[in-house]
Amino acid sequence: MIRALLVDDERNAREELATLLEATGEFELLASCPNALEALRSIRKFHPQVLFLDIDMPVIDGFTLLSMIDSELMPHVVFVTAHDDYALQSFEEKTLDYLLKPVAPERLAKTVTKLKELLEKNTVPRHQPPELQRIPCLKGHRIKLVATEDIDHVHSSASGIHLHTDNGSFFTELTLKVLSRSPLLLQCHKQYLVNLEKIDEISLLEGGFGEILTRAGARIPISRRYLRQLKQVLGL
Amino acid sequence: MTLIIDLLQQMSVFVVIAYLFTKSPAFRPLTSEVLPFRQKFLLYLIFSSFSILGTYFGLPVKGAIANTRAIGPVLAGIIGGPGLGLATGLTGGLHRYTLGGFTALSCGISTTLEGLVGGLVYQHLTRRNLADKRFSPAVVLATTFAAETLQMTVILLLSRPWQDAFALVRTIALPMMLTNSVGAALFISIIRDQKSVRDRVGVISSAKALKIAEKTLDLLSQGFNRETATRIAEVIYRETGVGAVAISNADELLAFTGLGADHHLPGSPVQSPLCKTAMREKRVVFADGHQRKFICTVSEDCPLGSALIVPLMCDDEVVGTIKLYEPKQKLFLNINRALGKGLAHLFSNQLLRSRFQSQKDLLLQSELRLAQAQVNPHFLFNALNTIRAIVTRDAEEARSLLLHLSTFLRKNLKRTGDLASLAEEVAHVQSYLKIEEARFADRLQVSFDIDPALEPLQIPVFTLQPLVENAVKHGIANLLEGGHIAISAREREDFVEIVIEDNAASYCEQEQQNGLGIDLVDKRIRNIYGPSYGVRLSCLPEQWTRARIKLPKPGGPKP
Repeated sequence: MIRALLVDDERNAREELATLLEATGEFELLASCPNALEALRSIRKFHPQVLFLDIDMPVIDGFTLLSMIDSELMPHVVFVTAHDDYALQSFEEKTLDYLLKPVAPERLAKTVTKLKELLEKNTVPRHQPPELQRIPCLKGHRIKLVATEDIDHVHSSASGIHLHTDNGSFFTELTLKVLSRSPLLLQCHKQYLVNLEKIDEISLLEGGFGEILTRAGARIPISRRYLRQLKQVLGL
Repeated sequence: MTLIIDLLQQMSVFVVIAYLFTKSPAFRPLTSEVLPFRQKFLLYLIFSSFSILGTYFGLPVKGAIANTRAIGPVLAGIIGGPGLGLATGLTGGLHRYTLGGFTALSCGISTTLEGLVGGLVYQHLTRRNLADKRFSPAVVLATTFAAETLQMTVILLLSRPWQDAFALVRTIALPMMLTNSVGAALFISIIRDQKSVRDRVGVISSAKALKIAEKTLDLLSQGFNRETATRIAEVIYRETGVGAVAISNADELLAFTGLGADHHLPGSPVQSPLCKTAMREKRVVFADGHQRKFICTVSEDCPLGSALIVPLMCDDEVVGTIKLYEPKQKLFLNINRALGKGLAHLFSNQLLRSRFQSQKDLLLQSELRLAQAQVNPHFLFNALNTIRAIVTRDAEEARSLLLHLSTFLRKNLKRTGDLASLAEEVAHVQSYLKIEEARFADRLQVSFDIDPALEPLQIPVFTLQPLVENAVKHGIANLLEGGHIAISAREREDFVEIVIEDNAASYCEQEQQNGLGIDLVDKRIRNIYGPSYGVRLSCLPEQWTRARIKLPKPGGPKP
């Protein structure tokens, strides 16, 4: 059985695809997610082998979702869309396949064959997800998208990951690892990322430690482990 | 005293000559500040002969000649500048010199100097932007007086024996200074009068041109066809009083008014050689009736003898001609010639403008048709997918959705007219929203609040649908849950307002992206009803997005 996850914002569409997947007898459907955030949670929880992913979704579309998945958890991806505007693009993203809604069972069977081959060969999914530009943060029942260039720094604490910006701080479900894929955000400590553009001052302390003063006036620590990397990036 | 009267007599002869002279067309451009060389040469000849005649007509006084020689050079200087004054003065002076006498040299020199004095006054006035003052009799009087004073001084200084010179000057100074000054002043006042008569004619003819322009431009903006051409031709015919007016397009005569209308029939092909030349060479062709005659190719009895043919241009392409005719025995007035050219130029501009406008309208129409005809493929396939999912669970619901879908598609395909009632538009949008409600399930709710009195209101087709589609596509589809769309139509004080509001408030960020649909609807409403109507978007972040459609009340402006 192939461990599958399904993401689509339309309830009827989810039901329809679930019915089709079940009919093949090849899939174990781990979860059916109505949006990208729930999909991220389910991916971390279930480690699916394949993702059936709708492209047109509120706030975070299918492509953007890919940019938010931890690379070691990255499943194979089959895009499911109503219209093939995205065909070329998804080909470039090196996704496994794409299906057009309404999905014909015969067409799905081909996808299954392809998928099985890949899984037997133990092929690692090779996606080149788009660069992470806006980070989804929960704010009440809405999703607030914070642009990476607006972030001052990121702090990971026991309560979760917080983005600090000039307009307040926001909670996100993305991991530091995913966030540090953005070329703007650089890790300077196990618990901190700093926006390269927002560094105001760096003080080097004894013993290989350091401290960064950001534009927003926050002081964040540099640990020994990340100091060298930081110096390299800044050309020091 | 006798000398004054004699000189005055002589001067009168000049004034008569001057009067006749100013009546001739050769004199016309003389009033401009900068004269072309040919004109200057002509003036040189004329004023030089004045000067020479002045000497010949002069009266022998004590071995010298009392005369009105000065008028020519001084006027030449004032009108044509120092160069012309000097040349005229020198000619007059040389001539006087050859006649001999004890004042031959001094008179020759002083005449040249008088031309120069006129020229200096010219320079003085034009440099101060007072060129018009040159035609003031007072200025000319003073200048000539000064010039004559100079002449007397020169005679006293140069002529020998001094006693004779002094006796001569005593006798002739006053009469000559007076008659020359008065003569020059009279001369210039005649020129000035002629000029003001011409200016008045100019004012009348430009008023006429403006009147024609006002009456015809509006007609032309309604199209360039037989009907508008006929009405334009009638206006030109009435206002200019020419013998006949014709307007043609590139191939055939569109309108003909006036003499010869019996055989110049609208619809007949353009065939006169003059007209063909004008169109082929893209230039104005003028047959004055003397050197070049207009010969009618249709009838030998045609009364018309002269013609002005001006091509109408649009984008460097001849689209027609305007023709003014005069009958054989009548002179073709220059005013009408200039008027004809000016009108054709004006019409060409207007044609270009109308063409541009109609292309713009056409583009808007086709853009709109394209946008209307396109059922969003996402909508269609998502709808089919939704129905496929529902059919196993709730066959009745699926059947009803299929009906809504076919209603929506049929209305989309069938709409050909430009206007529909508000009720029809709402029905169209309702079938669209039924499908979207099923698709988004619990994520979308729709409410309508339409004033029943407004249901028969005629509005442009596809006014609501693009806006509602935007509210769904860019609004509700971006909400995780709890989407709401409210559509209302109400009569306001002096307009009708239709509002489409969603609670997603996500357009504010996407104004560029959703431009097309709303922009087209807005443009079309403005196009039909004028700039005070149209669509306006407003948004309160995270609260709502509102699209307000402002339309005229029933009985307001009609499309």
